[in-house]
Amino acid sequence: MAGIKRHSHPRPRRHRSQIPLGILFGLLVLWIGIRFLRSSPTLAFFWFTGIAFGFVLQKARFCFTASMRDAFLTGRTRLTKAVLVAFAITSVGFWALMFGAHQSGRPIPGMAFVAPLGLHTVAGAFLFGLGMVIAGGCASGTLMRVGEGFTMQIIALLFFIIGSLLGAAHFRWWDVTIIQPAPRVHLPQLFGWFGSIAIQLVIIALLWIAADKYGKARQHAATGRTAQK
Amino acid sequence: MQERVLDCLGEPCPVPLVKAQRALEDLEAGDILIVQIDHSCAMKSLPEWARDAGHNVEIEEIDNGEWEVVIEKS
Repeated sequence: MAGIKRHSHPRPRRHRSQIPLGILFGLLVLWIGIRFLRSSPTLAFFWFTGIAFGFVLQKARFCFTASMRDAFLTGRTRLTKAVLVAFAITSVGFWALMFGAHQSGRPIPGMAFVAPLGLHTVAGAFLFGLGMVIAGGCASGTLMRVGEGFTMQIIALLFFIIGSLLGAAHFRWWDVTIIQPAPRVHLPQLFGWFGSIAIQLVIIALLWIAADKYGKARQHAATGRTAQK
Repeated sequence: MQERVLDCLGEPCPVPLVKAQRALEDLEAGDILIVQIDHSCAMKSLPEWARDAGHNVEIEEIDNGEWEVVIEKS
């Protein structure tokens, strides 16, 4: 505490090193992974990639909820821009995988995930957005914070499971009546392989510029207001 | 010079930031706001916002996963 002089004393520290526990846990993860590897390599792969993903998510504080919410709530768009950059990188990656398969005549991977597009997409996205802001995290974020020991999100996870089960139970009806009749849109079929990636990257770039300008304008307005006081 | 303590323990990410923004509006330059948080995301977003807004910020880790963010309004 060099800079700010505070009157009250900070509460006594009870901070303990977590490194021994971390090493112990790391060894446990490794041991379980090796056990999985003996019975099923796929399971071991899921185990290690899942834990690696969670680790990156926690350390990078990459929050999808905040990337959408903070722009409106606090005027900060740093995470919005970070997510857009991630989208751009994955777009190029997926495009390369699909285009490579197309060129060599193999079936294009991931086509099963080209879901029918319609109003249900908008409705679902809106509901998901509403839920993640109230719960304080999207699916991965909630799981990560449960791991950190944040009590409120354990409740969120409980209802996340209940909701998922309810959804899975009557998903068939929605699927047959609304989702399947809607058209499937695969951009490369509409605009060609190079056109589709160009259009996608231009849209992402425009969103990035908009987010940047909006963030700076909000920041400017906020500091201007404090200066006037 | 006044000093205010804002208890945000148990509140998830956007709540401490929004509360701190409102509390800072009522304070004068040189006043100190201490925000107690235990949500790791707020530990990132709150100091970031406050530094961008031009305030002095210090973070103290009180316990594993519990922080006090000390903001001096400028």
